[in-house]
Amino acid sequence: MGAGRVLALLAIAAMFGVVIAWPLTRLAIEALGSGTAPFIAALGPEGVDAIRNSLLVALAVTALAVTGGFALALLTEHARVPSRSFLLAGILLPLLVPDFVSALGWTRAFGPAGLIDRLTGVELPGLYGPVGIVFVLASGAVPLAYLLIVAGMRTRAEPDLERAARMSGANGATALRTVTLPLLWPVIAAAGGLIFATTMNTFGTPAVLGRPAGFATMTTRIYSDLAFSSTDAAFERVLGLALLLVAVVVLVVVLTDRLGPRRTERGSIAGPRAATRPAGRLPIALTWTFILLTVVVPLLALVLTALTRAVGLPPLPENLTFANFGRAIDSRTMPALVNSLLLAGGTALACVALGAAVAIAPGQRWRRRGSGIVSLGFAVPGSVLAIGVLLAFGRSLRDSLLIILIAYVAKLWALAARPIAAALDRLSASGVHAARIHGADGPTALRTVTVPLISPTLIAAGLLVFVFALHEVTISILLYGPSSATLAVAILNVQQLGDPTVTTALSVLLTLLVMLCAVPLFVLRRWWSASLVG
Amino acid sequence: MSPALACRGLRVAYGATEVLHGVDLTVEAGESVVLLGPSGSGKSSLLYGVAGFLPPSDGEIWLEGRTVATPRNQEPPERRGVAMVFQHYALWPHLSALDTVAYPLRRSGRDRITARRRAADLLDLMGVAALAERRPSELSGGEQQRIGVARALAREARLLLLDEPTAHLDAPLRAALVAEIADQQRRSGAAALWATHDVTEALAVADRVGVLREGRLVQVGLPAELYERPADLWTARLSGPASLLALDVVERNDSQAVVVIEGRRHAMLLASDAASAPGSAKILVRPDWAELGGDLDASVSARWFRGPHTDYRLATPVGELELRQLGPPTASVGDAVRWRLKRGWAL
Repeated sequence: MGAGRVLALLAIAAMFGVVIAWPLTRLAIEALGSGTAPFIAALGPEGVDAIRNSLLVALAVTALAVTGGFALALLTEHARVPSRSFLLAGILLPLLVPDFVSALGWTRAFGPAGLIDRLTGVELPGLYGPVGIVFVLASGAVPLAYLLIVAGMRTRAEPDLERAARMSGANGATALRTVTLPLLWPVIAAAGGLIFATTMNTFGTPAVLGRPAGFATMTTRIYSDLAFSSTDAAFERVLGLALLLVAVVVLVVVLTDRLGPRRTERGSIAGPRAATRPAGRLPIALTWTFILLTVVVPLLALVLTALTRAVGLPPLPENLTFANFGRAIDSRTMPALVNSLLLAGGTALACVALGAAVAIAPGQRWRRRGSGIVSLGFAVPGSVLAIGVLLAFGRSLRDSLLIILIAYVAKLWALAARPIAAALDRLSASGVHAARIHGADGPTALRTVTVPLISPTLIAAGLLVFVFALHEVTISILLYGPSSATLAVAILNVQQLGDPTVTTALSVLLTLLVMLCAVPLFVLRRWWSASLVG
Repeated sequence: MSPALACRGLRVAYGATEVLHGVDLTVEAGESVVLLGPSGSGKSSLLYGVAGFLPPSDGEIWLEGRTVATPRNQEPPERRGVAMVFQHYALWPHLSALDTVAYPLRRSGRDRITARRRAADLLDLMGVAALAERRPSELSGGEQQRIGVARALAREARLLLLDEPTAHLDAPLRAALVAEIADQQRRSGAAALWATHDVTEALAVADRVGVLREGRLVQVGLPAELYERPADLWTARLSGPASLLALDVVERNDSQAVVVIEGRRHAMLLASDAASAPGSAKILVRPDWAELGGDLDASVSARWFRGPHTDYRLATPVGELELRQLGPPTASVGDAVRWRLKRGWAL
């Protein structure tokens, strides 16, 4: 093993120790050091409420999102749908909208005095509270479930397997029940596990929709205990809740990962691929209605509010203005925007560098183990990670951007490492062998063969991390100081003050920023998936 | 009795790309028809169209006299009553071999016990009874395809579609499995439509062969017809080794002809519907239509010993000639040899 390789491995190990291992160890020491007190505090009436609320919301969201995602996947993968690319864009659009922004959108669309209320006099009952939280989170999680299930369908269920069932006399429904579904269970379980974990971890939506109704989840309880009370009892409850949260999430992720997609031998897909049967009218109408209600209307309401002169005015042409955007960018939010961009950029660079450093780690097995360990950071809830980082570095780095950066890298490292490791796995060794045999030394082969082949993945991974960091709020809300607030934090704070025009203007800005960064991601994705197939 | 399958003017397209440009084909009851063509010629598309996975953009498909597909109306695959053996086996990863073969029997309403008993018989028939409890991941390619064939037989269909069933198997396995599939198909009384790009396979199992080229059937006929009287040079090259000699035909009646080679008259069998007038002609010669000995001059430019026979490439004044002789080599590369032309086919 060359010196460069040793150095790279040491750097990775050191980084892992600093950003993931040490904060989590600090948290564990702190929590276990106080004996059973944290757990007793967490299991007090308010704690139990928060735990129950989190579990119920996560279960409901998982069930709804997986069902919806599966139905949509069946529609787009098994049948020919008209204007397919528009439909896909509609399904996937929520991925680009930060969840608290869509929560705001829903309040402006379906809440009291919202767009639908104005137009029809109907408002969604229980929007502030568990019902609203479940709806908003589920509609946001549907595209994730959809993507995972579609990916599973493409790799696990070869079209010929279903055709073989049809040739054996099974009708469409029977083939679905006896072949498609049994083959997809692992994928569905993995998607469910992931959505359950993200829902347990989420902060933005419960903060926007839950707090006005006095409905607390584990993450919002941790936030309010940490931010608004300084008693030891409150801190003990924070520790207890954090540990319980981590336990539940890790348990669910491990369980569903067990069921998850096992590596099957790579079979090439025979027979024509394209779905040739046209989809029924009812499913298509239902899908468009779903997209309209959960995506288009909330975003439209958000934009209209941002463009309206004052709260309470109907969104008519004479009341429209861009002034809110001017008001939104002030001495508080401008630095927040800069902070967000700096953090997202820094996190993306660090994560891609770390992911790429894994490229020179010897062998596939090490890479897989490495990305497995790094996934720990992604699996651990953001609030818990933030508390760990606060305990580990709070004394010297409190309120700085750097402490948020550390937590972000810990959280998002896996997001870059996984696709990069997968891209490296897909590279056949023969390319590098051919380079070596034709005179390239190790570093030259890396530079001329490996890196060019995985560079689309490197760019895509960087953009992915950038987008996630840009709309992250669970971690930054716990770690920000007077001069290190991010745009997302600023939005939530302005929202607490209750001026919807400014809040929505900021939300629109943040969403546009995210979408802007996501455009190259989508362009690359096509290239990326093409290189994946070919 | 109506034919097992009839296609009339069948056109199939993927989006804007048409892959079958009007195919007419009939498969009689119990008959075995082989579609021969290189990859991309539309063999699989034709099979998937008959199966019901690709709708025709024009034309019709009948199964036993019943219309199953028109551009407006398609019967779903499960109601067409045809069975299929897939190129990549398409065995279900979550089912054992026994459950896989029992699957079509269950779909046709047999109870679990009867279905499994019959499935076990079919596995036995295909020589894989011992693998009944295995999953596809625990099986070799050949074993998987035997189970695929057993599954297709379990469908008890009147027409069997075979999409290059042995394309992914090693050569020795391939010949044995092809023979077995053909045997089982004949015993079951079902008609068969095979797709293959392997000419020896096609000639061996076919009652009739259809040659597909870029989505068109260019020749349909008995295997011997295809070998001896190919429609054109492309089909000739596809249907076996072939040399093309430039000869002067001086006399000709029905099947006999006199050609001139090296200034000498030479009588040979020469069949063709076209080019009946004497004159210069391109004559197709199969390796077994010429032999060593005789009075024509050539030199050996290459030689391959194949065991039962030896293949030579001869440089002759009228062109390069592939020639096959039974037994071990009798001449080496560079040797001057004598040869004789027995027959030819005027293109």
